Amino acid sequence: MTLAAALLLILIGFVAGGFGALAGVGGGIIVTPLLAIYFGVPMHQAIGITLLCVIATSTATSSQYVERHVTDIRLGMTLELATTVGALIAALVAHRINRRTLAMLFACFLLYSCGSLVKKAWDARKEKREETIPDYTPQNYPVGLAASLIAGGFSGLLGIGGGPIKVPVMFLFMKVPLRVAAATSNFMIGVTAATSAYIYWGHGDVRVDIAAPLVAGVFAGSLLGARISPKIRTFYILMLVVGITGWLAMQMIYKLITGGFR
Amino acid sequence: MSRHSIAANRALSLTLKIGAYTALALIVAGLLLQWAANWGTKVTVAGLLVLLATPVLRIVVACIQFLRERDFKYALVSFGVLAIVVLAYFLGIRT
Repeated sequence: MTLAAALLLILIGFVAGGFGALAGVGGGIIVTPLLAIYFGVPMHQAIGITLLCVIATSTATSSQYVERHVTDIRLGMTLELATTVGALIAALVAHRINRRTLAMLFACFLLYSCGSLVKKAWDARKEKREETIPDYTPQNYPVGLAASLIAGGFSGLLGIGGGPIKVPVMFLFMKVPLRVAAATSNFMIGVTAATSAYIYWGHGDVRVDIAAPLVAGVFAGSLLGARISPKIRTFYILMLVVGITGWLAMQMIYKLITGGFR
Repeated sequence: MSRHSIAANRALSLTLKIGAYTALALIVAGLLLQWAANWGTKVTVAGLLVLLATPVLRIVVACIQFLRERDFKYALVSFGVLAIVVLAYFLGIRT
């Protein structure tokens, strides 16, 4: 790999990691399509590489959210029982799914994320930063576990974190405060992504030359993003991420229609 | 009972931090070294393996913390998660 390519990958990782930490998305929704559309990386490899980026985001941001006592470790650990099972099964299945089908599923997920980010941005538009977290007791564990199983499945299949599935369920059905739900989801995706990453690594789908510079960038970006996230308004960042994911979704759909991803 | 125990949070946060910075340092060192020596790639791979191992390590640390707090229910939950992840490891990397 040339020096220029390595530097470009570090930059992409930095931006994806930074936006990931600030907007509360895994960063995977940016990295996978970029690799698949513009670098010509086969979908399975793009997903395997992205899983490492997801672990990096989770590790870097969680180290700070856990310290600030936002993350609910007991809740996270319980739901991980389901996300890891989903991730393991999906990672095993993903290897038998052809590239175009994976790309199509990914494009659908991008559109869904785009929609859920628009809603999040709309809600964040006039939010006041609440400093204290209200008392709560997680409820409806069966619903939470079922959603986690599905989120884990998507994580293993598409290399994403699964936050857009888990966070609303934790917030709406389990009655967990939104900030706690987001931090806990972030905490969980590291273990979830690691589970499926082992399978992808075993299949040789994690290319070290591409993964290493990306992961280095993601680490730096998300460490910085998690540090400055309490101090800035998320509305504009969310809108920017909406724009990027929307654009990438269009590009993927265009490439699918014109017969790409073979 | 408070849902957030300070000692457990500190131990977990420290585990994640050590994992993150070790992996980052190894990967950056490996990326720089690979231009100078051909074993640089091995350092990079070591960094990625540290990255892959950190989530497992944090399950182990959480499990130990729950045991120390005599919270056996969640120690068992952590052990369950650990079992699934270890199974994935043997199904994936080892084969």
